[in-house]
Amino acid sequence: MTINARIKAAGRAAKAGLILLAGLAANLGGSPVWAVPAGSPWGANYFPNVELVDQDGHTVRFYDDLIKDKVFAINFIYTRCTASCPIETAALRKVAKALGERMGRDIFFYTISIDGNRDNPQVLKEYASRFNTGPGWTFLTGRKEDVTRIREKLGMYREDGKPEKELGEHSIVILMGNERGGQWIKRSPFDNPEALARILDTRMLARRGTSGKSEVTAHAAAVMPASPGEELFQSQCANCHSLGADDNLGPGLAGVVQRRDRGWLKRWLKEPDRMIAGKDPTALALYDQYRQVPMPNLKLSDREIDTLIALMEQHP
Amino acid sequence: MKINRVGLLTSNRPPAEHVLRDVNEAPERLLGKGYILKTANRRAVSAALAGLAGALTMMAGPTDAAILSVPTGAEQRSPLFGATPFKARIVLVEEFGTSDYTGIEAPAIDPKSGAPATLGLPEAVATFGFDLDPCHGTPRPSALDDIIKMTGLYPLPGELANEELQAGGGFKHGNPWQALIKDCLGGDDPLIAEMDMPMDGRPWGEDFKHQRWSEFAPKKFFQAIMAGARTSGGARDRYQSHGYGKDLIGFSEFGPNGLYHNTVTSPYAPGVDSPLWATPKDAPATVEGTYIKAFEGTTKGIPVRVNPLNPNWPIQDPNSVWTFDGTIPLHLLMARYAEPILFRHHNALPIVNDVSSNMGFGTHTISTHAHNMHNPAESDGFAGAWFYPGQFYDYHWPLVLAGHDSINTDATDPRASTPCTPGEAFNGVTCPATGIIKVPGDFREIQSTLWFHDHMEDYTAQNVYKGNAAVMNIYSGIDRGNEDFNCRTTAEPTLSETNLNLCLPSGTAKSWGNRDYDVNLVVADKAFDANGQLWFNPLNKGGFLGDVMTVNMVYKPYMDVRSRRYRFRILNGSVSRYQKIAVVDQNGVQVPFHLIANDGNIMEHSVAFPNTEAGTGLPTQSIAERYDIIVDFAPLYAKGIRKVYLVNLMEHAVGDGPKAPVTLAQAWNAFNGNNKTGYNGADLAIGKFMEFRLRPMPAGLTDKSMNPALYTETVVDAVTKKTVPGRVMLPMPTFTAAELAAAKHRTFVYGKKPDALNDGTKPWTLATDGGVGLNADLARISAAPVKNSVEIWHLKGTSGGWSHPAHIHFEEGQIINKRNAADTGNIAVPSWERFGRKDMYRLGAEVNSAGRIDIAIRVRDFTGSYVEHCHNTQHEDNAMLLRWDSENADHASWVRTPHPEWDGPHYDEVHNGLPGSTYKLPTADTGSKTTTEAKNFALPAAFGKPRANTGVAPK
Repeated sequence: MTINARIKAAGRAAKAGLILLAGLAANLGGSPVWAVPAGSPWGANYFPNVELVDQDGHTVRFYDDLIKDKVFAINFIYTRCTASCPIETAALRKVAKALGERMGRDIFFYTISIDGNRDNPQVLKEYASRFNTGPGWTFLTGRKEDVTRIREKLGMYREDGKPEKELGEHSIVILMGNERGGQWIKRSPFDNPEALARILDTRMLARRGTSGKSEVTAHAAAVMPASPGEELFQSQCANCHSLGADDNLGPGLAGVVQRRDRGWLKRWLKEPDRMIAGKDPTALALYDQYRQVPMPNLKLSDREIDTLIALMEQHP
Repeated sequence: MKINRVGLLTSNRPPAEHVLRDVNEAPERLLGKGYILKTANRRAVSAALAGLAGALTMMAGPTDAAILSVPTGAEQRSPLFGATPFKARIVLVEEFGTSDYTGIEAPAIDPKSGAPATLGLPEAVATFGFDLDPCHGTPRPSALDDIIKMTGLYPLPGELANEELQAGGGFKHGNPWQALIKDCLGGDDPLIAEMDMPMDGRPWGEDFKHQRWSEFAPKKFFQAIMAGARTSGGARDRYQSHGYGKDLIGFSEFGPNGLYHNTVTSPYAPGVDSPLWATPKDAPATVEGTYIKAFEGTTKGIPVRVNPLNPNWPIQDPNSVWTFDGTIPLHLLMARYAEPILFRHHNALPIVNDVSSNMGFGTHTISTHAHNMHNPAESDGFAGAWFYPGQFYDYHWPLVLAGHDSINTDATDPRASTPCTPGEAFNGVTCPATGIIKVPGDFREIQSTLWFHDHMEDYTAQNVYKGNAAVMNIYSGIDRGNEDFNCRTTAEPTLSETNLNLCLPSGTAKSWGNRDYDVNLVVADKAFDANGQLWFNPLNKGGFLGDVMTVNMVYKPYMDVRSRRYRFRILNGSVSRYQKIAVVDQNGVQVPFHLIANDGNIMEHSVAFPNTEAGTGLPTQSIAERYDIIVDFAPLYAKGIRKVYLVNLMEHAVGDGPKAPVTLAQAWNAFNGNNKTGYNGADLAIGKFMEFRLRPMPAGLTDKSMNPALYTETVVDAVTKKTVPGRVMLPMPTFTAAELAAAKHRTFVYGKKPDALNDGTKPWTLATDGGVGLNADLARISAAPVKNSVEIWHLKGTSGGWSHPAHIHFEEGQIINKRNAADTGNIAVPSWERFGRKDMYRLGAEVNSAGRIDIAIRVRDFTGSYVEHCHNTQHEDNAMLLRWDSENADHASWVRTPHPEWDGPHYDEVHNGLPGSTYKLPTADTGSKTTTEAKNFALPAAFGKPRANTGVAPK
């Protein structure tokens, strides 16, 4: 079913749900239609079936339209976010790429805004286009209390139950699920994208099998350890940058140590959000040049920054 | 409007502690307490209940009902179906039982069952009565029992996984379910249709080859099948080494006149069949049902039900609970040193993960971890070496002492020995009158109490909770499970072959391995859905809490005990719950007992409890920790005490970590409705959870077991009244100054709470040697210690509010230093940790734990891939785990990373641009001495040195 078809079906289901809701008291033996099926161990109201709106302005219901009988990845962002969100989106983008044609056919991504007041469908659509996302990936927004409810139930709100003081406190987790299969795995956007793709494909979809024997090689010879910088780069930077000349979401980093003043570069790695906010001309130029995807503040330590710069020096 | 209490109480009565404060409460409150019954499913409760549920739902509306504060995260508290505490008798663990491996053949017609042994696992079938098709079903119980009874193995295990291909293509030994699997996965998909699936789930090739296969050739084997819940067919009756009294010469509590001959009901239970010797009978109101003769000498007929005889509590469905064999009792492996075991673990779980096949949690692939055996890595249960339904995995457990290659290699020290029955043919020799055979290795590394459980990547919590856990006792010359055979008469180190047995409480009927007074207790919190089926929330990665305490899968059981000493091997088998257990008599007064083993390892000295060092009760016990204690019921019985309780003091509000222990008085009076005198908070696991009923000794029998009070660090001499050193049970392994000086240092920081990126930390991570915090990647080797070396590891967790019970596979460590919660200063290492080897290290701010623990660890005898992780298994499943490999000194050979799929494990060719899937952190081979933790580490002068063994001889 296409997204549009699903949304239409959802609309019908939602209307039917309202009617049935009124009649629930008489419907003792059946299940409430706004929730999981009768007999589900989750309980009828576990997954909120609240309304959300996607980037095209279509109204969908969380349970019925997004997760029921589907294999999916869910994360929560807000478009103004300058820290973790761009990293998450960039990571998911790589995962989506690795999943190829399964995206939108077998596997769906849902990125839900926690800033419903600002992130209307238009904003989300622009955001998605900045990241050049592909099929099968829906950006959604909704009423704050509804989204909070979803996050609580998915275990993606603050664990201590206290309210978040600011949006930036939101947990950065990617939830991968197969609702029908009762399969749920949480991982970090800092995980290797290949590993995340493998989870969605092999574990969640659970249908894949590639004939194994042929791809086997002799026992791998020992390889030298990756440098500390490479490890750091892989987990923090590689979703947006290459060490070569190729642009990705962000510029290729070959020669960046020659291109940029050392002090500027250090500060850029340390607090890019403040440099953009402070209208540093180079920072703004980069921001505009790369589709206004902000360089995120990765909260890197000085030592980590030195390590990364040392790595970049090896790639003139 | 008031709720009709009678309706609730008669049809679906909540537990006593749920009821107390609820009378006349408004319906909204009742909703909050979770008395809404969900609309009935196929296992419908009564129409009256459905009506009530509907009425309540109507009153509160669906939205309000969702806002609940139940520790489990469920929409309701677990229903207890009228069950009240201490009415169900505990079901003691059942031996897997091992058979001789030597001489087994394959293929064969099994002489007992008559079934051809060539078939492998019998195919899953539609599960009768559960509306499950074969894709979601499980094999017939009788077919599973046939496997259990088989005396052969097919195909025969080998050094390499069975990966033989046949001439026409495909595996010679294919997955016996292959055709069905293809149908279930979608046979029209060419990728699936063309798949060849092996029967053997072990990763192929050299990487997971059984190490030292012929050197430690299996002597015994057993098979078990992971399967959905079913009523026991008693298939393992034949394997019980106590034989329920058959063929035993001496008295056995498992024999006809013993307390445990009947597996479900107490001989003191009333009823026409109840044995005459057990009098007076318990009052009918204090037991569930009456004595049932059919459970004498068999487990046949025991249903998987949390309250076995309570007809109101639903039997667990095959999709709710998955256990070894699909049955309870929980299972026990009894093993002894120098008798290597081959464990063929079959996977008969549903082919398709589906809410109808798994009740919404648990996955059908498994990897079985032997926690914390001294095993080669391919048999450790690596998190990434899982196997699929229809497959088996052969685990090879050599049962060698650590130090096998370097200490006592000529096997001359009698303290390093294995028990045997005099006259028994054992490993090619006849067991001598001493009842021991000497073995190589370090006797100080003897292990006693272990368990094995699933370690599936991302699913450990769910699968273990669902029932994938078994216990294991290893027997040795020193801890042989016989309390009246060559007991100790001299002090360490002058023990001889005829007097080294510690004679811990156990029994005497068998030469070794008596369990009459040596009892495995697995304590675990569970939750249940509105229909009484096991419930779990896989989304709550901070930690999952149950609201129903169970011991050996039985809701708050009681147990008959004799007026004598008992050894209890207590395992915390929870997902996230820490416990702190007090032992209390019927008057609420703590009773004295001794701790003798920590994490299953006999300590240098016993430690008397209660004591001021630990506070009330035992020390805090995190998930997977084992405490072996000795309780002497005799003096209590003499004083007129007839009941003794295990009481949990540790309160949880969330699963992230414990709050603090409540007072004994508060716990003793828990849920009495009076906040001044009792605990009445939200944590239903507080308070009494197990009851011992004290019974007289059988006529003419006396307690021959050792007195643990003689083995404390100091004792008062009976004659001189002077305080003198106490006797040593088992000395601690030592380290030389040179070894410690040369040790590589490694620092592992357990990550902060995953609230936000704002605070500068990444969530759910382990940071190694000053590097960035990382999530689990099983292809990444974070540490690669050299086999036969000593290392010093700094485990740190100063996350404030989050607790992490750190677990290191394979090797036990010794605690050098403990640091306070903020890691700003040393705190005392308590006696029970100074005297014992550990595999669990509690990092956290709770009592008895630490913000940092420095340990010394030796890596010996085997190589390969192991892991270290947080054993709050929800944290572990959120990727709080790292891989470390034991490697040869040249670090030349790395274990490739398997990616198991239906058609066998795949190895990647390229990973992160490097050849081969596996890669290393830069510090993996070297460790780091430059971390803050390594730099501010100070080695106490006394650490690692042998302590004087000047104990006086026992009476």
